Amino acid sequence: MSKSSAKTGLLVQAHGLGKSYPKVFHRSDRLRALLRLLAGRREVDATTVLHDINLEVWRGQSVGLIGENGAGKSTLLKLISRVLTPSAGNVKVHGRIGALLELGAGFHPEYSGRENIAMSAALYGLSSDEIRLRLPEIIEFADIGHYIDEPVKHYSSGMVVRLGFAVVAATRPDLLITDEVLAVGDESFQKKCVRWIEEYLESGGTLLLVSHSMYHIQKLCKHAIWLKSGVISAQGDVFDVTQAYLSYHERKNTTQAPQRAVVEAQGMEFHLLDVWLNDESHEMPLLLEHGDELRIRTKVHSRDGRVPVVMLGIVRADSTPVYGVSSDMDGAEVTLQSPGIYMAEVHFPALCLLPGGYTVRMHALDTEGVRLFDTIERGLTIRGSSRELGMVRLPHRWIAPNALPNAADSRAGTAP
Amino acid sequence: MRALSLALNFTRREIRNRYLGSFSGGLWALLQPLMQLAVYSFVFVYIFKAGPIFKAGAQNAVATGFVPFLVMGLWPWIAFSEAITRSTTVLPENAGLIGKVALPREVLVIASVGASLSLHLLGFIAICIAMALWGTPIQLIMLPLALLVYLQMALLVLGLGFLFSALQVFVRDLGQVLTQLMMLWQFTSPIFYPREILPEPYRDWMGFNPFSYYPEQMRALLLGSESIAPGACFAALIVALAVLALGIVVFRRLDSHFEDFL
Repeated sequence: MSKSSAKTGLLVQAHGLGKSYPKVFHRSDRLRALLRLLAGRREVDATTVLHDINLEVWRGQSVGLIGENGAGKSTLLKLISRVLTPSAGNVKVHGRIGALLELGAGFHPEYSGRENIAMSAALYGLSSDEIRLRLPEIIEFADIGHYIDEPVKHYSSGMVVRLGFAVVAATRPDLLITDEVLAVGDESFQKKCVRWIEEYLESGGTLLLVSHSMYHIQKLCKHAIWLKSGVISAQGDVFDVTQAYLSYHERKNTTQAPQRAVVEAQGMEFHLLDVWLNDESHEMPLLLEHGDELRIRTKVHSRDGRVPVVMLGIVRADSTPVYGVSSDMDGAEVTLQSPGIYMAEVHFPALCLLPGGYTVRMHALDTEGVRLFDTIERGLTIRGSSRELGMVRLPHRWIAPNALPNAADSRAGTAP
Repeated sequence: MRALSLALNFTRREIRNRYLGSFSGGLWALLQPLMQLAVYSFVFVYIFKAGPIFKAGAQNAVATGFVPFLVMGLWPWIAFSEAITRSTTVLPENAGLIGKVALPREVLVIASVGASLSLHLLGFIAICIAMALWGTPIQLIMLPLALLVYLQMALLVLGLGFLFSALQVFVRDLGQVLTQLMMLWQFTSPIFYPREILPEPYRDWMGFNPFSYYPEQMRALLLGSESIAPGACFAALIVALAVLALGIVVFRRLDSHFEDFL
């Protein structure tokens, strides 16, 4: 009956969903909580894990859930799969859920893989006839050889995941929920799972995936939700959200250092007074589209009035260098503006950086370009939904093969 | 429907869990009450010379001898107390399942109670048949009725199981306290002695003990001792249903908070 409604539209609907855990420190807290609950009152003193989540997942959607550790991703999945009960709001799910929430959840370590398949398939709501029917299929998918008849406690974590995924795959859920468990499987099994999920999505399945692998998220999901300390920070197209998340994350790792560097540089022979990116001098990262123009201007104070060398570097926010150049390399002029104050400006007419988070580093060096005196960093976020890999777009051109002379002929022609 | 098949699955698994890896397998479940029977019979018959005392106090109740009398009380009691003490701790024991898999938690309690009760029911039927073969005048024809009484006891046990298991999540000492209370309960129930040998005020108090109905009814049915008044049967049924209802209400109310306190 609910099947038919599930066929058409909304699979998951969460409204004002929240989860908080009671703060229990003393023995008496438990008793007090018990009495309060028995009296039908809600817990007052609680730690909020998720707050006011509004969420809709439609049939056929593939949604990635990203966020830092402790952001509430797993809690949200558990609320949706009804393992946990919300402490605020509600969540409605239409259709059968297959949830891979934790490694080996629902498996009994003493039992063989075969017996555990039966048990956990029953937990997912399969009847014993269906289980018997699909057992060979499950065993084949898990592909763990003779281990299928050994107790699960002797399994490696990868085998446990194989078994777990095989069971969930066989239940053909309306909504598949997986929580980072795929990361445990080996390369070939991950590929198998990804292939299975892709087929499942093509045949109209719905996916809710938690992963810290942006590769998996971008490969499997069209939508993404970024959870930040229990609230939805961003949701929408997978590329927008993952990029926002990545630049936030990478920047967070590198924010502490530059401030200190500026302070320490006071009274140095050369020190950077300011840096402007496209005429903006504030600390907020500059947002650009792929291919936009970037203008970097900097002001350097020279204690003895000697001409500084200005160097700039662009690094991906995880500190992988992308490009670096200095004024003396290019023979560019650093102009005197007022006594002891020099200015330099460099333009990138069409920035070929691929979407992601970057940092622009400006350095002040001595006249010889040998000693580094000061550094200022500015964030730079490139937006866009390109699926290209790497950091920059290299100029390239695709040639239709039939427009070329026959490959074998050309090789034969050039060999002698 | 799904809950029912899950409960069956879990009961099967529970039975296997208890005896998986044990040397005797399921046999111990049948032997354990038998050993208790031997110990108690020895203590009461040979050390305390209780037989004549019981007989003097209540000719009817112990007419068939002390051992059959004890069997009728001891088996239901062992099933009753084991089911309750085991099911009380079932939620913390399955904490791993509760936080990770969506399942109706009632299933865990039902499975635990079901495993204890079904195992000891087998033992009970076996010993009744054995005694009949031995020559004890047991009315085996009444066994189906006795089974109904046993089922009624299952309702009571289930109710207490729901109640205690839910409370155990919050008050962890309950399990230990319960073990001691069960011993007290055992000796204040008409298991080792007929109600009739108690002095007057205490004899009536036994009516408040919800368990006292079951050994007495078993004896009435199977040993042909004085039958229970229909009013008392009805009262026992009401009590069992009321306890079950209370257990379900408390369990349901606390259910959504289990994972917070486990």
